[in-house]
Amino acid sequence: MNARETRDPCSPRGAGDFCLSCVLTSGLLVAAVVASFAYLEIDFSALFAADSATAMARFAASFFPPDLAPDFLQKTAHGALQTFAVAMIGTLLAALAGLLLALPASGRHGIAAGRLSRFLLNLLRSVPELVWATLMVLAAGLGPFAGVLALALHTTGVLGRLFAEAIENAPPQPEQSLREAGSGGVNAFLYGTQPLVWPQCVAYGLYRLEMNIRMAAVLGFVGAGGLGQMLYYHLSIFQQAQAATVLIAMFVLVLAVDALSDRLRTRMARS
Amino acid sequence: MAFELQGVGLTHGNGFRALQRISIRLGRGERAAVIGPSGAGKTSLIRLLGVATRPSEGRLNILGRNPWQLPAGELRRLRARIGTIHQAPPIPPRLRVITAILAGRLGQWPAWKALLSLLYPVDIAGAQATLARFDLADRLFDRCDRLSGGQLQRIGIARVFYQEPDLILADEPVSALDPALADAALGELVAESERRGASLFASLHAVDLALKWFPRIVGLRAGEVAFDLPTAEVSNGLLHELYAAEGSVLPTQASAPAALRHGGATAEAMAESGDGTLAANVVRLDTCRGR
Repeated sequence: MNARETRDPCSPRGAGDFCLSCVLTSGLLVAAVVASFAYLEIDFSALFAADSATAMARFAASFFPPDLAPDFLQKTAHGALQTFAVAMIGTLLAALAGLLLALPASGRHGIAAGRLSRFLLNLLRSVPELVWATLMVLAAGLGPFAGVLALALHTTGVLGRLFAEAIENAPPQPEQSLREAGSGGVNAFLYGTQPLVWPQCVAYGLYRLEMNIRMAAVLGFVGAGGLGQMLYYHLSIFQQAQAATVLIAMFVLVLAVDALSDRLRTRMARS
Repeated sequence: MAFELQGVGLTHGNGFRALQRISIRLGRGERAAVIGPSGAGKTSLIRLLGVATRPSEGRLNILGRNPWQLPAGELRRLRARIGTIHQAPPIPPRLRVITAILAGRLGQWPAWKALLSLLYPVDIAGAQATLARFDLADRLFDRCDRLSGGQLQRIGIARVFYQEPDLILADEPVSALDPALADAALGELVAESERRGASLFASLHAVDLALKWFPRIVGLRAGEVAFDLPTAEVSNGLLHELYAAEGSVLPTQASAPAALRHGGATAEAMAESGDGTLAANVVRLDTCRGR
């Protein structure tokens, strides 16, 4: 057996071969990173200067100890509940609307309906939650309702696209065979395709719920209620102790929901 | 009359002629098997009869109707009277066995009943009775991905039994079953057809099963009907002519399956190429797979 034959048969060329496009791409990437630093005038030395470090330490220390007075704790708990509810309802509404838009978007109801719903989903998704929240505060007034609408609108775009892809990628035979046995479209979908995509769709929904809990906390900054609104209020009047309590509540809420959804997802994957 | 084809042809989108000049008639309650080498068009024929694909030419009459001229509602009612057993059972893996079987009657149930049945099975007794005929009654509430390939194939047959169609079409219905179970399952198919007077048209890979269970055999080769005779008149010579392209051995339940023959061919080829380069290449390609 000669040397040519002992070469790795899977690579068309040896590893030592010169790859022009690889070198060019990495060169361009490095140039882009360097140019970005220069353009933004980022100066890391200021971050590590002595006086800024002491200023940061003083600011951080002002958050301690957090305000643990019972009536404020109760207020915080109420805010946390509101944030949780905003995220839950927003995600649930988005899952329903997303499913309704995903069916035409997966190309099941003709090309025109598919294009239209895809356009709609892209539109909903491309506007960030914060922008939706600002618009919704104008439309629905200050408070949690605006937060729910903002989350629902953006998440519909995201979940709708994910659901549509799941439906599109599911094998068509189960549903097709039911149609060939005389079943109507809705039932053929429910018995043929739905069991195939359901676990994936629920996992997407739970994942999105985790993200929306964090988002719902931030949305309060533009007046959409919950922990975010409390945080914004207390920070703006320099009540760092109260702000610290709210931050801890956010942290606990996010941890709890992440753990819960993690558990649900692993249980679903097992069964 | 169960169905009648007159000069039917089917050309796929890529220009491949799957079927041509097919003229077959099956009476009500009659049973016939279609056999032929792989690629002869057996599946295409079953799909035509199941109103799954539209013929490119010729006349098609199924259960007294011309399906492609019916309005949507009528077409659905016609399809509900045709039950197709697929070679690979088209059942979602997460579905429970009972739901998979009850799905057979979606064409007859009103929408609310089908919806309700997703939450709680509406006809447990009916599904259980059907399943009992395949010795699977104890698996009624199992999920389908807990079943073996052979069990799943029998669930697919049970679904069509539960549908109670007037015309039963079967595309290699026992290909995943071992000889004894395949024989028993075909026996059940024939018994069901006799019991309800339903017509049965099945494509089979194993010639001996077709000869044993069916009174009439249709031989299909290269998309055309090679012969269409009562089983008693199907001679060995006709069969060997039909399978001429697949070698001298007829595919049966008892004889070695196709995969074994292929294995032998590969081994021969490797032995022939004296210096062993071919063998080395085969091994290398295998190591690359999956990268």
